[in-house]
Amino acid sequence: MKSESKFDPKLIEELIKFGKNIIDAPKLVSAPDEISLEVTPHDIVQEIDKTRLLHYRPLTEKQHKTPLLISYALINRYHILDIQPEKSWVRNLLSQGFDVYMLDWGSPTSMDKYLDFDDYVNGYLDSSVEFIKDETSTEKISLQGYCTGATIATAYTTLHPESVKNYIATAPVIDGWRDTTVISNLAKHMDVDKMVEIIGNMPPEFMYYCFSVLKPFEQGIEKYVNFFKNIENKKFVDNFLRVEKWLGDTPPIPGALFRQWIKDIYQDNLLIQNKMYVGGSHIDLKKIDMPIFTQVAVGDHLVSPECSMPLHYAVGSEDKTLKMYPTGHVGMIASSLSQNKVLPELGKWLAERS
Amino acid sequence: MESQSPKDITDYYKHLSLFWTDIIHLMASKPQALTSMGPMRAFASNSKKISTELIQINENLMEFNKFVTEYYKQLSETWSEAQKKVNVKAPDVPHDVEQMESFKRIWIDIFDNDFTELFDSEKFGENYGKLVSKELELTKHWNNISNVILQSVNLPSKEEIDEVYKEIHSLKKRVTKLEIELKKKKETKNEGSVKNEK
Repeated sequence: MKSESKFDPKLIEELIKFGKNIIDAPKLVSAPDEISLEVTPHDIVQEIDKTRLLHYRPLTEKQHKTPLLISYALINRYHILDIQPEKSWVRNLLSQGFDVYMLDWGSPTSMDKYLDFDDYVNGYLDSSVEFIKDETSTEKISLQGYCTGATIATAYTTLHPESVKNYIATAPVIDGWRDTTVISNLAKHMDVDKMVEIIGNMPPEFMYYCFSVLKPFEQGIEKYVNFFKNIENKKFVDNFLRVEKWLGDTPPIPGALFRQWIKDIYQDNLLIQNKMYVGGSHIDLKKIDMPIFTQVAVGDHLVSPECSMPLHYAVGSEDKTLKMYPTGHVGMIASSLSQNKVLPELGKWLAERS
Repeated sequence: MESQSPKDITDYYKHLSLFWTDIIHLMASKPQALTSMGPMRAFASNSKKISTELIQINENLMEFNKFVTEYYKQLSETWSEAQKKVNVKAPDVPHDVEQMESFKRIWIDIFDNDFTELFDSEKFGENYGKLVSKELELTKHWNNISNVILQSVNLPSKEEIDEVYKEIHSLKKRVTKLEIELKKKKETKNEGSVKNEK
């Protein structure tokens, strides 16, 4: 009796190749721990507590007059904005002639559990802005906030409009009730008082849990299958490991800050209703009257467009621009699309106002 | 005999346990004082606190188990529903590379959609919130037990350390405020001296 295999031999070949790739992987690829995420040369120009103000070295002879400060998110570290030369947000802006500073919030410890919105807005961010103003002899700077960093930057801009010439809000977390993401669903049901009272800071493990429920099969299975399939593609592997290393390094969030963020943004939605207070001062979005550029990603599954866009309509500025891009939360800042579309558009807008 | 609810039974055993712990603690306190000395004395006299915490941990564990069971029930129900959808959409076993790729795509898309729908739902959010809350309560009891041990060796408890952190935070704020005021005064003074020179 003749037996016939129903399976295409190419399929078997593919499976054998995949298994071989898994075995060969350690020989071909660096361990994430061996990779340094520092890409573009910079100097640390100010350190307060655990925060650091980074100043990137210029890449052009001439620079625009107004310096730009980036207020990075509270989740993960700032490295995603400079993840590799050809996808670096920072490098692109430097090559467009901007003078770029970045505020690294550092990694808070148990000792920092009482740090609140006031410390971040009127303390760390304000000190950085004042430092840059002194250093560059300018009266106003351009400020960019990304994700939760944009929530802090938005609060700052309403309280210190005299220091901000242009404001760029990239995927800002603004209207918690309109946010349709899984994160907002978990945040709305969280007993944040209990968490802060018992644990202190928001532990990174909680954030890793949140990441795991975002597209769990695409991110938890498919992504790694593709990694092993492409193990011989040096460029792909390098990018993959850098992003993975960045994803696996999220610092805790100070308890008091986390409590106010969850309550005021996700649970009570005070910011967009102009009912939020920081350090006793009222946050009125109408006070944002300088040019503002809001960037939103249509496929953002961390901060949905519905959560970010209301900022555009709530501010008092007459010169305001809202741009939507067909990408995701990270794709907007670290991808070919960000290099070819998002950054050139931002650069053009900012150059005209710097 | 009247039927008793699980809560009544739990309360009964909790009371029974506390009663005997208290009585034994009272009865044993004198001989305990006689036989315990040095650092172990504090631990011996606080040992009642540990039994109380253990009883409460037991109570919390029952609640925790309820929410954790519901959590895994929701996950497994979503899994089997998603698998049913995959079976309908891709009933045949893939035989070549192309079929395998499209099967994988269908499987991932359906599973991601169904699980995202679950994680987005009110029932998941509510149960997950309660589950984490119970987990935090268990952590609190563990903290309290650790505090008893810390105090017995004359080390500060979590609350005492928190007090120090709070004080440092408030002092830092005051220092920053004073520094800003000082800077402003200096600037005003400088401006004044420049005007006088003019």
